[in-house]
Amino acid sequence: MNEPLFSQLSTLGSSVILLFGITLLWRKSLHAYTDAFQWQSAALTVMFVIIGYFGNDPELYVVAVFLFVLKVLILPRYLERMEKRFGDQRESQPYVNIVTSLMLSGLLVLLAYVVARPLVLVSDLPTRGGLPLAMGLIFVGLFVVITRKKALTQIVGFLVMENGIALLAALGTFGIPLIVELGVFLDVLMGFLVMQVFVYHIHSTFESIDVDQMNELKH
Amino acid sequence: MTFFLLIFPPLLAALIATLVRPYRAFVGWIGAWLSLISLGASLVFVSQVVNGQIPTWGFKLEYLNLEDVLRADSLSALLMVCVTGVASLALFLSPGLGRQVTNPHWGELAYGSNQLRRYHVFINLFIVAMLMAISANNVGVMWIMVEATTVFSAFIIPLKLNKASIEASWKYIIICSVGIALAFVGTVLGYFDFVSLSGRAENALNWPVLLATAPVLHPEVMRLAFVFLLIGYGTKAGIAPMHTWKPDAYGESPAPLTALMASSLFAVAMYALLRWKAVADATLGSGYTDNLFMALGLLSLLIAAFSVVLATDYKRMFAYSSIEHTGLMCLGFALGPLGTFAALLHLVNHTAAKSLMFFLVDNIEHKYRSPLIAKTRGLLKTMPWTGALFAFGLMTLIGLPPGGIFITEFALFRAGFALDHPWLMGVALALLAVVFVSFINHLNKMLYGTPSAEEINPERPTERFSWRIALLLINVAVLVTLGLTLPSPLATLINQSVAILSKP
Repeated sequence: MNEPLFSQLSTLGSSVILLFGITLLWRKSLHAYTDAFQWQSAALTVMFVIIGYFGNDPELYVVAVFLFVLKVLILPRYLERMEKRFGDQRESQPYVNIVTSLMLSGLLVLLAYVVARPLVLVSDLPTRGGLPLAMGLIFVGLFVVITRKKALTQIVGFLVMENGIALLAALGTFGIPLIVELGVFLDVLMGFLVMQVFVYHIHSTFESIDVDQMNELKH
Repeated sequence: MTFFLLIFPPLLAALIATLVRPYRAFVGWIGAWLSLISLGASLVFVSQVVNGQIPTWGFKLEYLNLEDVLRADSLSALLMVCVTGVASLALFLSPGLGRQVTNPHWGELAYGSNQLRRYHVFINLFIVAMLMAISANNVGVMWIMVEATTVFSAFIIPLKLNKASIEASWKYIIICSVGIALAFVGTVLGYFDFVSLSGRAENALNWPVLLATAPVLHPEVMRLAFVFLLIGYGTKAGIAPMHTWKPDAYGESPAPLTALMASSLFAVAMYALLRWKAVADATLGSGYTDNLFMALGLLSLLIAAFSVVLATDYKRMFAYSSIEHTGLMCLGFALGPLGTFAALLHLVNHTAAKSLMFFLVDNIEHKYRSPLIAKTRGLLKTMPWTGALFAFGLMTLIGLPPGGIFITEFALFRAGFALDHPWLMGVALALLAVVFVSFINHLNKMLYGTPSAEEINPERPTERFSWRIALLLINVAVLVTLGLTLPSPLATLINQSVAILSKP
C-alpha cells in the first residue's frame, strides 16, 4: 500500500468535495445547485473507490455503486424535473448575502478544524487529513439549510450535508457496516421523496417555493 | 418468534391498507385488532425480561452478518409497552373506523377515501419504525429507524392540505431530518473511535459491544460525539432549543398521530439518547452528560413555562406541556440512579397522560370548531364525559394526585435535593409553579361559562357515553393505579433499566 499517495489523494479528494459544497453559497440558480450536487456526488463516488482500493475493502465498491446510482443518477434527475416544473428558481435574497456567506463558510471550515482536532489526533489512518474537511462540508450544508429561502435550496443543502457525513464515515472508518450504509441510502431516498412531494404542495398552496412566506403558525 | 409477533402485525396492516383501494372501514378495523397482537407480544417480552432473560433474534447470510440484530432488554421492553399500548389506542380511535365525521372547520367530510388510505398505510409503517428502533441492537439500525419515523409521519401530518398544515410539516421534516443527520455524525464518530482502537468489526455498533468497549474509548472523541448525538436525538425528542417544530406539528396533525408523536415517538427519541448516554458515561464518567442534560432540561422548562402562560390555542398549549415534561425528564436522567428511576416512571405516566389529552382535544375541537381557548367555554355542560376526563388529565399533567405524575415529580425532586442541587431544583419548582397556575387558569376558562350557540357544531349533540370514551378510561385507570401503587413487574422492569443505564 502506497501510504503517502493514499494520504495525498484523500486530502485532495476531500478538498474537491468541500469546494463543490461551497459552490452552493456563491451560485444563485437551482440549475447550478443541481450541477454542483451531481459533481460532488461523482467526486464522492471516486473517493469511495480510492478508499476501497487503498484500504483493501471491497465492501466500499458496493457502497460506491449504490452511491453512484442514487446520488449521481436518480436524485439529480428528480431535481432537474422540479427545476423544469417551477422554472429556474433563483435564490435572489438569501437571509445572509453571498459575500458574508463566503466569509462565514471560511470560518465554518476553520471551526471544523478546531472541532475535528481530537479526531485527527487519535487516528493513525492515512486518510485523517480529510476529516476536518468532511466536518466542514457538514457545517456548510447545515449553513445552506439555515440561511437559504427556497425550499429546493434547503433540500440540496440537506443532501450536501448527507454527502459530508458519508465522506466523514468513509475517511474515518473506511466505511460503516454495510447494513447501516444501505439503510442510510434508503432513508436519504425516502426523505428526499417526501421533501419533494412537499415542495409541490408548497408550490400549489403558496404559489411560490419561498419558505419565508410560511408564517401562519404562531402562538 | 415474539419479535415477529411484535413487528409483523402493523406491517401486515400497512400492506392490507396499501392493497385495498378505495379505502374501506374494515381495513382500519383489521389494523386495530392486529395491533393487539403487538401489544400482547410486548407483554410477553416484559414477562421474559422480568425473569432475567434477554431475548435476541437474528440470522446470517453469506456476506450480511445480522446475528443478534434485534434485542430486547428491560429498557426496550418498557418502551415496547409504551409504544404498542398507545398504538392500539390510536388505531382504534383513528378516522375511518366509524361513520364519517364532518370536518370541524369547513363542514365537508373530514377525510376523503384517498386520505384515509394514506393515513392507514403510513401510521402503521410509523409504528413499525418505532418498534424496530427500540428493538434494534445495532445503534446504526436504531438511527435508520428513528429517521424512518420522521419520513413516515411527515406523510400524514398534512392529511388535509392547507397553508398551516403544509407549513407545519415542512418545518417538521426539515428540522428533524437535519437534526437526525447530526445524530448520525455522532454515531459515525462513536464508530470511528472504536475502529481506531480495535480495528473494524461488523458488530462494533451493537450496543452491548459498544458499552463494553466504552471505558477504553477516547474521552475527547466521545465528548464531541455525544454533543452531536444530543443535538440530533434531542431535536427529535423536542428538547429546547431544538423544540421549535413541536407546537406546529402537534397543532396540525390528525389527533391519533399527535397522540403517538407526543407520547411514543418522544419516548423513542429519548430512548436513543439514553442508550448513548450510557455509553458516554462509561467513557467519560457521568458528570459530563449530566451537566448537559441539566442545562438543556432547565432551558426546556423555562421556555415551556412561559409559552404555556402565553398560549391561546389548547393544542399548542399541550405541545408546550410536552416540552416541559421533556425538560423534567432530562433533569431526572441527570440525577443518578434515583433520578433515572423517577424519570423512567415519569415517562410511563407521561405516555398515558399525554395520549389521553390529545384524544380528548380532538373531541373538543370537533365540537367547538376552533382550537382557541377563548372560544371554548362550558366544556362540562356541552361534553360532560370529555370535559371531566379533560379536567382529570390536565390536573394529572400538572402533578396533582391521584395521577401518577404527582409521585414521579415528588421522587424526582427528592433525588435532586438528595444529590445536593438545591438551586437547580428550586428554579425547576418555581417554573413548575408557573405552569401549574397558568394551566389551572386555562382550565377554568374552558370548563365553565356558557358557549355561544354558533360556536358549537350542531351535528354534535350533547355527548353520551360511548366505547370511544370507554377506551380512554384505560388511560385514566393506568394513571390512577400508578398514582396509588407501583405494580411489582413494573418496578422490576424500571429497576433493571436503571441498572442498565447506570452501569459504572
